[in-house]
Amino acid sequence: MDFTFTDEQAMLRESVSRYLHKHYTFAARQALVSSDRPYSAEVWQHFVDLGLLSLPFPESVGGVGGSVVDLVAIGEPFGEHLLVEPYLASVLLAGKALAATADNVRARDWLQRILAGTALGAFAHEEGNGTPDPAQVALRCKGTGAAFQLDGEKRLVLGAAEADVLVVTARVEGEPGRRDGLALLLVAPGAPGVRLTPFTTVDGRSAAHVAFDSVEVPAEDCLSTDAYAVITSTVGDALVSLSAEAVGAMGALLRQTAEFATTRRQFGVPIATFQVVAHRLADMKIDVTKARASLLYTAALVEAGRATPRDLSVLKAQVGRLGRSVAEAAVQTHGGIGTTDELAIGHYLKRLLAIDAMFGDSDYHYRVVGAGA
Amino acid sequence: MDLTTGPELDAFREEVAAFLDTAPTDAIREAGRKLTSVFSPFDEVMEWHRILHRRGWAAPAWPVEHGGTGWSVEQRYVFAEEYARRNLPPLLPNGLKMIGPLLIDLGSEEQKQQHLPGILAGEDYWTQGYSEPGAGSDLASLSCAAVADGDDYILNGSKIWTTLAHRANRMFMLVRTDSSGRKQHGITFLLLDRLDLPGLQIRPIVGLDGLPEQCEVFFEDVRVPQSGRVGAENEGWAVAKHLLTHERGGSTSSPSLYRFVQTIREAAAVRTSPFGGRLVDDPVFQRDLGELEAEVASVEHVEKLAVSGHPISADLAFPSLNKTVSSELTQRLTTLMARVAGLQGLPQQLQALHVGSGAALLSDDFDLVALPYYLNSRAASIYAGTNEVQRDLIARTVAAR
Repeated sequence: MDFTFTDEQAMLRESVSRYLHKHYTFAARQALVSSDRPYSAEVWQHFVDLGLLSLPFPESVGGVGGSVVDLVAIGEPFGEHLLVEPYLASVLLAGKALAATADNVRARDWLQRILAGTALGAFAHEEGNGTPDPAQVALRCKGTGAAFQLDGEKRLVLGAAEADVLVVTARVEGEPGRRDGLALLLVAPGAPGVRLTPFTTVDGRSAAHVAFDSVEVPAEDCLSTDAYAVITSTVGDALVSLSAEAVGAMGALLRQTAEFATTRRQFGVPIATFQVVAHRLADMKIDVTKARASLLYTAALVEAGRATPRDLSVLKAQVGRLGRSVAEAAVQTHGGIGTTDELAIGHYLKRLLAIDAMFGDSDYHYRVVGAGA
Repeated sequence: MDLTTGPELDAFREEVAAFLDTAPTDAIREAGRKLTSVFSPFDEVMEWHRILHRRGWAAPAWPVEHGGTGWSVEQRYVFAEEYARRNLPPLLPNGLKMIGPLLIDLGSEEQKQQHLPGILAGEDYWTQGYSEPGAGSDLASLSCAAVADGDDYILNGSKIWTTLAHRANRMFMLVRTDSSGRKQHGITFLLLDRLDLPGLQIRPIVGLDGLPEQCEVFFEDVRVPQSGRVGAENEGWAVAKHLLTHERGGSTSSPSLYRFVQTIREAAAVRTSPFGGRLVDDPVFQRDLGELEAEVASVEHVEKLAVSGHPISADLAFPSLNKTVSSELTQRLTTLMARVAGLQGLPQQLQALHVGSGAALLSDDFDLVALPYYLNSRAASIYAGTNEVQRDLIARTVAAR
């Protein structure tokens, strides 16, 4: 067994870390988030130059054949720097769904543009309060031979406002709860009947609710009418990357909080000398260690093709709950200043809250594990 | 990254499974079902130890030249998994995981030859004489005195939390040989090769479960040879700290933690929810069990990274972290056991807990052991250094104080 990064992975991680350390300081990130730009075009272009956009895809579709562990290697620095660029939305969600249906010429075409950095995609999947189980997808898709018609709504579609194409999950047949009858379709954000309600999320990301009102989709833009497996694997791989971001954020919280506790003095001494504070730091370290071990182990399982839905639920539940717990402990240790917008601490908290909420929160995934899935 | 599997490992798993399916006697299996703490029922587990030794499998983690199996990290995990899956009683840790490895590292050649064979074979049981009534978490303040007299030491004082001392024939202990300097100086590590010594008295202590497991040992002018000393006189603290790394770290505890999850899930499948239907289908139960199973999985992941040599285990806090996490998880799992047993766990059935008593159960094995297990595991966050002390050690690696 070996769970360390390869030399290539370590180099990739190092080059991403170095770049972000220099160009994605907390101040620069805050300036970006408070501007009207949804993400930094310069950073995105650098990712194109580094080859990050083609990293997760097989060579057959123009990628470089990177593995989920490569994505973990860069995901941790993404989380550490609170990156808001649409890597998850465009590359890991829309891109991966397109790669899985790349026998369709329209999918392949969009994928080429996404990984060249000339187009952005978004993955319109979650509905209502969240759709961690794809079988619960309800967005209606009526097949009419040469075309399909979409009716319903998708919530919190990351990167939708900037997207050139939406990859939409929908139900062509049966009732919610069934794994069959799920479709994957390409929809132009400007198509008649598509209505976007854009907003910025609490963690600084551009997203939108997307309503579909009798939206016509030509048959050639229907990528699959048996899409459960594609949706599941797309979301499953994205969960690992999202968890890597969470672990990167948790590690940063531990470091920054430890530094604060050794320099901040009250009652004449550094607050880290108080046992209650020291033990909270110990608990943070315990939580970061558990989350990181589960991340690396689960990534290895995925890479080996041996991860079960239960394994992914373990990871998502653990980083969701432990992430929140570490962030709340960091705020408490920082005291008043931790509750402000001025420090990175609270922004990590918001990022970790968002990560927990997406694609099934810890309660959902714990119950999946407990049910013996 | 890679995860090793393959036909050789599968064949090994079959070999282990075949042995574990056939070798244990009925009494040994009953001891596994009636396990209520880290320490298995004594007579049965020592018999099982000797059976495993005859197969050459008593000490997988030991170096081959001292009787280890020479298994790979993966094989050791497979063995632990198959072992836990069959609910077999874990071998007592004092010899195999504590004093044995310590002697291998720090004992003299004579001490190794004299003691290791008996530890490996399950002929001897060693109790640990560390804590004293006045020295618990602050272990270095211990005062049980050893005064040199010719080739011997004369011991006066007492030791407490000496597990199963009333069944032991050996003891390793810390004694005070000098009290003039700082408290960590002047401690000596001593082996007693018999306990039937004039002036030595053992008092079993009845625990919360109603049965004796811990003991107090009194020394009144007890004469023991100085040849039992490990390391130099007055420098036993360093020896003890070396042993603590064996006690706290390098563990494969996740297979036995998974056993709790499996046992609880099976029990819930044949119990009803107060809301009707099976407990195992109750959403709240599923949520709670799921969190504990995921926590066990994280322990598994930490342990597998550690045994693979990942830098995560090079962290100075690692032994303390492991001890804290696995002890508290054991407590949470036994708490859920007690909740699942509910009213059925309340009858005290001391006779039935004895292996071979033949006493009729009021319900089933799960209800029999749930409360004793819960009660005994309260000690998990206290022994081997309280979790408060462990958190102090972890915090020191996070923030210099």
